[in-house]
Amino acid sequence: MHEEAALRRRQGFSGPRWTGATLDARAPNGDLWVMPLPRSRLFLLAILLFALLLPPVQTHADESPPAVRIGVLAFLGDDASGQAWFPLLDHLQHRLPGYRFSLVQLNHDGLERAVTAGELEFVITNPGHYVELEARHGASLVLTLDRGDAPAAERALGSVVIAPRQRASLRELPDLRGQRLAVVGKEGFGGYQLVWRELLAAGLEPERDLAGLLTLGLPMDRVLAAVERGDADAGVLRACVLEQQPDWQTRFRVVGARSEPGFPCVTSTRLYPDWPFARLRGTPPALGRELALALLAMDRQRDGLAWAVPADYQSVHALFRELQIGPYKDLQPPTVMMLAERYWPWVAGFALLVVAWVLYTVHVERLVDTRTAALRAVIEERQQLAADMRASQERADHLARLSVLGELSGTLAHELNQPLATIANYAGSLIRRLDGHRLTDDAVREAAGEMATQAERAADILARIRGFSRKRRMPRAAVSPREMVDEAVALFRGMLGGAPRIDIASALPPGLAVEMDALQIQQVLLNLLKNGYDASRSLPAERQALALRLEQADDLLLITVRDHGSGMDDETRRQLFEPFFTTKPEGLGLGLAICRSIAEAHGGHLTAAPAADGFGSEFTLSLPLNASGRDAHA
Amino acid sequence: MPDIESCLIHVVDDDAAFRRSLVFLFESVGWTVCPHASAEAFLAALEAAGPGVRNPLQQEAACLVLDIRMPMMSGLELQRTLRARGCRLPIVFLTGHGDVELAVQAMKLGACDFMEKPFKDQALLDAVTAAIRRGAAERAESSRRSSACEVLARLSPREREVAQLVARGLPNKLVARALEISEKTVHVHRQHVMEKTGTSSAAELARLTLLADPSALD
Repeated sequence: MHEEAALRRRQGFSGPRWTGATLDARAPNGDLWVMPLPRSRLFLLAILLFALLLPPVQTHADESPPAVRIGVLAFLGDDASGQAWFPLLDHLQHRLPGYRFSLVQLNHDGLERAVTAGELEFVITNPGHYVELEARHGASLVLTLDRGDAPAAERALGSVVIAPRQRASLRELPDLRGQRLAVVGKEGFGGYQLVWRELLAAGLEPERDLAGLLTLGLPMDRVLAAVERGDADAGVLRACVLEQQPDWQTRFRVVGARSEPGFPCVTSTRLYPDWPFARLRGTPPALGRELALALLAMDRQRDGLAWAVPADYQSVHALFRELQIGPYKDLQPPTVMMLAERYWPWVAGFALLVVAWVLYTVHVERLVDTRTAALRAVIEERQQLAADMRASQERADHLARLSVLGELSGTLAHELNQPLATIANYAGSLIRRLDGHRLTDDAVREAAGEMATQAERAADILARIRGFSRKRRMPRAAVSPREMVDEAVALFRGMLGGAPRIDIASALPPGLAVEMDALQIQQVLLNLLKNGYDASRSLPAERQALALRLEQADDLLLITVRDHGSGMDDETRRQLFEPFFTTKPEGLGLGLAICRSIAEAHGGHLTAAPAADGFGSEFTLSLPLNASGRDAHA
Repeated sequence: MPDIESCLIHVVDDDAAFRRSLVFLFESVGWTVCPHASAEAFLAALEAAGPGVRNPLQQEAACLVLDIRMPMMSGLELQRTLRARGCRLPIVFLTGHGDVELAVQAMKLGACDFMEKPFKDQALLDAVTAAIRRGAAERAESSRRSSACEVLARLSPREREVAQLVARGLPNKLVARALEISEKTVHVHRQHVMEKTGTSSAAELARLTLLADPSALD
């Protein structure tokens, strides 16, 4: 809207807006002052005079002649507007006295509003605007302005790009790249849009490829002045304006001049039809026809302007399509190339973003890789630590159990001693009294009662111990016998300061797993190893070595612990597994009994035999390979 | 020899059933038994009894059967307490499994014997009998010693010097030389000594002297 603001500034006063002024054709007599003023100034003055001299426009509600309002685009009217249209008004009023004609001069937006509101019957506007009105409001062409100097109505308008004469490098339109271009305004049809199309055709996008677009507003003299002063490198004029400048050939050069046969002026663009006279949708076609006939009768010599049969405005459509403005704004499906040309900064930006994203992703991936590796290392370390802790925990558990067993033996002995000694006392006393013939019934009752009570007490103590061993029972799981044995041996070595050599021989198929309570079985093995160790600890070192053998016999796993000790006599072997049988001074005699019960709880056996070569003993623990096998076979 | 049949047995054990069985056992051989549930209870009974027939300090045939492990005051602590009070009551300790260390300590402190539970009744009875005998012997020994001391205390200092030397078997001449007195004077002193102590020979005098002080003639 800066053009409008510029125009208003040029008015020099704040009177009624010229764009809204109504020129009543009947009031003036048609005599116009022709003064050597710039045309536009003259035009403004005319409006001013009308506004001041004439009585205010009355509303002639009682008048019979129907009103015919003709909207005129004043925005780019330049030399053709202003007084140029008065002859038209005169002519029409004269020829068609049955109507009351009025001219409404409006700028682009004002005209648009008036058309939308249905306040106009006809409109005279530039070809570009007409195409828009046609598309949006159903305006239809009546006639095309005929200035007389054009070869045809279709080829009447063009634009010329000028540069200072001395800028010899500016010959063709592509030379404008990087230059400043002076125009009256971007909305101007002849003042800019025609050149815009040619620039695009020459591969120049004005917004992108020009150093700047100087919008100077009307009159076009400003463009000339800007170019001459050097404010701009080049400027756009409507064709035929240049030729009116004195000595223009010495002052200016034409950029991208085209040869347009029959066209009297220099032009840098293709030619387009001149301004149309158009009927708006609500106007009766008959009225249009009447006006067309009247206007066609206008004579250039007599009236200053003339009208011709409607021209073809396809070229304007083509222009708008290419520029994607007017009715073709965003309507035309854009081709990839157009999109690329139009949106290349976006595409480039997007591509840049994509590249940045890819780089970022790669970076992040690498970062994630390194961090993951670090994390994995930490996790493995922690797992290792946890495994170590678990191992030492299990080890501690084993030791605790063994020490508990040791402690238990003391407590057990002490606790069992009390009732046993009590019972013995009573029993001995009874016999003693009997022998001395001093045994009374009361004494028997007392002693027998006490003995029964103490027997129960002993039974309770034993039950408590059984409960303790049950509490420690772990769920069974399939474990590798070799690993379990290795662990037991490691435990055994850990428990003893100077453990003897222990040879482990395994004849088991690899990957064999046997379901068992590993802790209990290890307890058995520890007992067997300890027994073997005790049996040979006083012997020379080579006799102290122990041997562990793992083998499979049918559906049994056999684990044999062999020592090279002094062996056992038959009496010992017979009582070996009986509870509380022991050959050790500090022994409780429960170890092997518990071991055997563990083996039997697993569906297996624990047996003892002299070693085949006569040295030492062999203890063999046999466990079913499939713990549920005995059930499965059943 | 004290009368075994009339001796008094003190039983100190925290296990009531076991304590009752000991009472039952000792009563079957006709002993009088005095059971105590703890060392503290025994000491309290001691205080309450005061000097008298039932006081173990006065009782000739008595024995203490003492459990070595008890919750409050242990058997060993009771033994030390009694010893500090000058009570020489013979003690037979009863120990559980693995209490050999404690039993050895108790023996060093003068206990008569220890029995590891479970024990055969006869073994305990034998041990108690032996303890009572030993206690009675000690008691008799100490009474003999005190009467010997009493007799020797009647002698004058010079007579005591003469008695010492005579008891060592020295003839009158050597005694006179050692004491730098005349042989006649020695003879008079010697007759007085024999009269006062009721002895008739140097050997008898020596036995009396040793009885009063086993190291007197070293």
